[in-house]
Amino acid sequence: MSLRSHPVSAGLTLLCALLLAACDPAPQTDRYGDGGPDAGRAGFAGLGAANDGYAHARPGTRLNFPGDHGPHPGFRIEWWYLTANLEDASGEPLGMQWTLFRQAQQPDTDTAPDPRAQPWATDQLWMAHMALSRGASHRVAERFARGTSRPRPQTARQAGVTAQPFRAWLDNWQLESLATDPTIDALSHLRLNARAEDAKGPFGYRLDLRAEGPLVRHGLEGFSQKSADGQGSMYYSQPFYRVHGEILLDGAQHTVTGRAWLDREWSSQLLSPTQTGWDWFSLHLNSGARVMAFRLRGGGDNNGDYYSGSWITPEGKVTPLKADTLKLEPLARAEVAGQTLPVRWRMTLPQQDLTLDIAARHPNRWMRTSVPYWEGAVTVKDATTGAPRGQGYLEMTGY
Amino acid sequence: MLEFRHVHKTYATPQGPLRVLCGVDLQLRAGESLALMGESGSGKSTLLHLAAGLDLPDRGEVSLGGQSLAGLDEAGRARLRRGALGLVFQQFHLIASLNVADNLRLQARLAGREQPDWSAHLITRLGLAGRERHYPEQLSGGQQQRLAIGRALAPRPALLLADEPTGNLDEATADTVLELLLELVAESGSSLLMVTHSPKVAAPLDRRLMLRHGQLLAESAGSDHQDSRRPCA
Amino acid sequence: MRLMGVALATLLSHYRRHPGQLAMLLMGLWVAGALWSGVQAINASARDNYARAEALLGDDYARLEREDGQPLTRDDFIRLRQAGILVSPLIEGELTTDDGMQLTLIGIDPLTLSGDTTLTRSGAPGALQHFLSSPWQTRLAPDTRARLGSQPTVHGGTALPPMIEVPALPPDTLVMDIAIAARLLGTGDAITALLGNRTALTAAPDGFVLTPADARASPRELTQSFHLNLTAMALLALVVGLFIVQAALGLALEQRLSLLRTLRALGVSGRTLVALLVVELAILGLAGALAGLLSGVWLAQTLLPDVAATLQNLYGATVSGTLSLPWHYWLGGVAVSLGGLVIAGSGVLWRASRLSLLGLGQAQAWRRGYQRQLRVQTLLGAVAALAALALGLTPDTGLIAGFGLVAAILLAAALWQPPLLAWLLAMALRVLEGASRPTRRLALTQWALADLQLQLPRLSLAMMALLIALAANLGVSSMVGGFRLTFLDWLDQRLIADIYLNPPAAQFDDINRWLAQHPAVHERLTTANADSELLEIGAPNARPRRPGLPLPVFGITPGETLMVDWPLLATLGDRDAAWQTLQQGGVFINEQLARGHHITPGDRVTLTTPGGRQSFSVAGIYPDYGNPRGELVMTTAQVRRLFRVPPRSMGIVIQPGEDPGQLRQQLMTRFALAPHHLRDQRQLKATATAIFERTFTITRALNGLTLAVAALALLATLLAQAEERRRRLATLWALGVPRHRLLTTQLVQLAGAALVTGLLAVPLGIAITACLVWGINVAAFGWRLPLHVFPAEISLTLLTAVLVALLAAGLPLLKLWRTPPRALLAEEEAG
Repeated sequence: MSLRSHPVSAGLTLLCALLLAACDPAPQTDRYGDGGPDAGRAGFAGLGAANDGYAHARPGTRLNFPGDHGPHPGFRIEWWYLTANLEDASGEPLGMQWTLFRQAQQPDTDTAPDPRAQPWATDQLWMAHMALSRGASHRVAERFARGTSRPRPQTARQAGVTAQPFRAWLDNWQLESLATDPTIDALSHLRLNARAEDAKGPFGYRLDLRAEGPLVRHGLEGFSQKSADGQGSMYYSQPFYRVHGEILLDGAQHTVTGRAWLDREWSSQLLSPTQTGWDWFSLHLNSGARVMAFRLRGGGDNNGDYYSGSWITPEGKVTPLKADTLKLEPLARAEVAGQTLPVRWRMTLPQQDLTLDIAARHPNRWMRTSVPYWEGAVTVKDATTGAPRGQGYLEMTGY
Repeated sequence: MLEFRHVHKTYATPQGPLRVLCGVDLQLRAGESLALMGESGSGKSTLLHLAAGLDLPDRGEVSLGGQSLAGLDEAGRARLRRGALGLVFQQFHLIASLNVADNLRLQARLAGREQPDWSAHLITRLGLAGRERHYPEQLSGGQQQRLAIGRALAPRPALLLADEPTGNLDEATADTVLELLLELVAESGSSLLMVTHSPKVAAPLDRRLMLRHGQLLAESAGSDHQDSRRPCA
Repeated sequence: MRLMGVALATLLSHYRRHPGQLAMLLMGLWVAGALWSGVQAINASARDNYARAEALLGDDYARLEREDGQPLTRDDFIRLRQAGILVSPLIEGELTTDDGMQLTLIGIDPLTLSGDTTLTRSGAPGALQHFLSSPWQTRLAPDTRARLGSQPTVHGGTALPPMIEVPALPPDTLVMDIAIAARLLGTGDAITALLGNRTALTAAPDGFVLTPADARASPRELTQSFHLNLTAMALLALVVGLFIVQAALGLALEQRLSLLRTLRALGVSGRTLVALLVVELAILGLAGALAGLLSGVWLAQTLLPDVAATLQNLYGATVSGTLSLPWHYWLGGVAVSLGGLVIAGSGVLWRASRLSLLGLGQAQAWRRGYQRQLRVQTLLGAVAALAALALGLTPDTGLIAGFGLVAAILLAAALWQPPLLAWLLAMALRVLEGASRPTRRLALTQWALADLQLQLPRLSLAMMALLIALAANLGVSSMVGGFRLTFLDWLDQRLIADIYLNPPAAQFDDINRWLAQHPAVHERLTTANADSELLEIGAPNARPRRPGLPLPVFGITPGETLMVDWPLLATLGDRDAAWQTLQQGGVFINEQLARGHHITPGDRVTLTTPGGRQSFSVAGIYPDYGNPRGELVMTTAQVRRLFRVPPRSMGIVIQPGEDPGQLRQQLMTRFALAPHHLRDQRQLKATATAIFERTFTITRALNGLTLAVAALALLATLLAQAEERRRRLATLWALGVPRHRLLTTQLVQLAGAALVTGLLAVPLGIAITACLVWGINVAAFGWRLPLHVFPAEISLTLLTAVLVALLAAGLPLLKLWRTPPRALLAEEEAG
């Protein structure tokens, strides 16, 4: 168990489950808690549950910046998801993850309790994960906070996100914009600070992130379809960060550099009722191109798997990938924390004439959070020659 | 039925060992009645206790129905007592907390041989009819002894042992009780060994034996024979 | 089987004819079991409640408060979280339901509260979503829920959130999400406390004061003392009850000896007979034990509200007013009663198994038998006394040895009592024999003494029970009384100031200056405190010891008022010299530290201070009742200088004749102080007194019951031999003694025996008190109570003894008075 997860885990199962296809293959109970008659069989962990009242991600929705960097309380779930492939001065590879999750407790933000009258009332829950790993070492921390969709201005909050100036935080974990020029995107220059402590001692990072390319809208101008029957999310990324900074791990301070990727996504119904989890790739290729690809297990045509992704040129031009232009197959599995997970993959991109072998740097990247999942750095090699092609991050849920 | 062979019994007392029985031989046949006479301290009661298996001889053998009592353990002798023997004491020894009917049936019940008809017959014959619900202390001495006789005969024992059964009663009552006892013993088909010091009481019985200084003498040798020797000298 | 049945029915038929004996036997078992299980039920229930209360807020969390004394707010919480200090807000308040039920409402933030503790336990899986948002949830213990009813409302009709049972929660405590709790309590932004993980939060952030998890006052010590005393009393009650059982069983056997012999003559073997007696014991035992258990629970339920109130006042620990007992309690109660019965009955069985078959009709040579019994008792009593002596002389023995000592003393006294009575009677008779001319009165006295001698074998058990009951009564009430006196005294001495001021740190100097000028103020006694570590103890002619013990250090101001009254147990030189040493840099330590580490005045102790190691001379040892830990005291000035801490509080001694209320009001108005900044000493004392009054109520109730049991034993014994005595008296009546004189003689006989018993009980009671306060309390808690002897209690004990005897004699005598003399004679003839 992670350092603070245990007592909260029962209740926050949902929050996590919404984001990650969690450990249970099928929902046993009404975890969503609205007690609706469909709740028990509404897809994985209630992800496909009745969502009346919430705003919906739809094709044709326009993204607006900087406003969309901030929270969308009318949607059920949302995240700010940062991963980075780093290396220290000696060239030793490291991986880091920092994520802030938001989950609405009720769809109607207008009837949310007035924080002036009820300072502790909550209609938004916040959860943050941080992870830092090198070799066999993998440190994870998790925190929670209550929040409101109608924050009082000038009032301190334990957790939240503001769009202008951009700042996303929970306790002393904080991602904030250093971009002062209003004409450039707020996410183009960020600073991340997070530090946690558990029985093994403190760990944390202080990173400076500069984007070397534009924001990238996935799917249909930012609408990313998630199943054959049409539901999906609003999804954009900043995949072009160069990173430098300091990390603290296992009692030692390291200066690190590397590449990072920020995902922004919000939705009210991410999965269709039959989907059980996903495998998600974000790759930095040595050519300067980026690849985002995922497989949602179940929910495709004829109840097969659903494939989607984006081919991103070094300039940030996006070519959507679909089942006929993206192939993902597990090559090898490993036993991790009692689960059997595919830790080597083959990705075939026929349009780009690429066949890539993707392998976890270390199988031990299990996130022992309130709902556990696998998240770790991968290496990318040419499937035929074995030549290095790049690196990236892999997330696997629902195993 | 009952047989004593060379039976010796000595008691330890603060004044030194007291020899009570010195080589007693005795036979009692089924259906026979025998009076055992003698003065106080002559060993009559000891002989009766040995016959009942309440005590064991130092030497010699006591057997009942061919079964040696020494060959039985305590539980075995208790079984024999409740199954084959009836005891009538001088002091009655009725159970104060049980009423007349329950006292009468007690031994038959203990032996697992209760015969309701016989019990009812006994109650009537003993003149206790109508007093079944009374308690022993509400009865006269004669009635109490009649009840004790009834209790002993209720299981129709093979042998009735009676220790001065009329000793605590006045003469008139004693006669009635004795008469009744002999009649009922006959009806029950039991043998009888009665200890008494009174020739008058002993007279109606089949045989009479005299115990003196720990030895049995012929019945006729009775009262006129004086022997000054110490017992078992 | 039929044999067994018939024989058993015959054995039991005795009780049909003597129902009084059966009643006495059952009563003994019943009362003994009732007292024992009643007290155990109270203990079990109260202990369970502390366990629950302690589990909630006890050792799991460290707490933060603001240094300036201002209430905490949500901003403090967020500020600390943003600084990376993982605290969780908690609000706590009183809530009264519309039915008038007082509840403690605790609001928590489950999202930030760490650890697997009672507070975070949800009671149902997946419940957090419901817990956090409308309509929220109320977590509460099942007993609280049962008392709340199905539709509890507050604030005139507001329903409580749906209820979820969490058995581990303390009684009368509701746990809710902080949002709804704040709304119900109307606390807005305010927080009662900030909780942190006990291992993670070890240092106070700037502007805050940290109370570490294990440093908070725990009710454990004093409540344990309380329970220990209750248990000791229950044990004594059990012993007294078993005496009755033993007496009743012995009597029942003696009266059935001829029955047993007849049964054996009728062919029931000895082994079967013993087995039957065991069955009889088991039947009676089960009946008595079950009755005892049920009435014990009833007794507990009657007393529990008092116990609960006492403990709540004492320690703020909520104890449920209703009983909830686990299954092993019931089983244990039956086992104890049956076990006692086996002990009491084993003697009877032993005698039955050795019953001589040929004793048919033989009278018991009781006199020689009783003489032998007295000799054996004297011998056993001597063995018990030697054991007591050995235990008493062994230094530093533990708790079990302490209880062993009490048991040995009681046993020795109880065993010696009948021989003593017999000896006294024999002496008196010898004196009478030596008298010159026997007058009629003298003859009667002689008869009375001889008659008492004859009664002694049967009376002695009842008298032993009376002795133990009286001694226990005296011992326990002396101890509780002494405890109360000492504690109140100590409270008086410790709370010498009229007002206790605990101002915000920022205002301290202002207030201090203002008070210095105030004409009504006689003295200001400032305090300070700091945490240190006891590094080394150095005694003359001994190697230094290094305990490495965390040690709280307190600063006192040795003002004139304080020095006069402050209690000191031991000093180097006289009191004045000790205070002088303190003012010159010496220290006082509390009794717990002194006992725990064998420190005596004159030793030197070395402590850590921010400026390095410092060595101090121990000038004195002071009592510190109810505190589990060691403590050290020096002057406030020295604490502030060495440990660099601000002053913490101030005791204000008012000039004689001035009104503390007025000064209090002035302080509150002038410095805008909240009521909690000021404490009134009178209030504190009133509370403490109320607590002890309640303790007394319970003690009195239990004492009364124990005595009632002893009286019952005596009554039963007298009733059992009443018939036989009537016959004996009839002879005297026939010889020309008037009836009223016979009755008076009887009363004098019994009252005399009881008085001797009472006189014996006095030193015994004092010895038990001494064992309790000097032995058991020290072994259990590390502090010694002074021994107080209350002459009034002693007189009362003697009076009680005589009264109990007269009361017990009353019923048999009344029967005797009503019997026409002729009937007495008739009985004699019938016998």
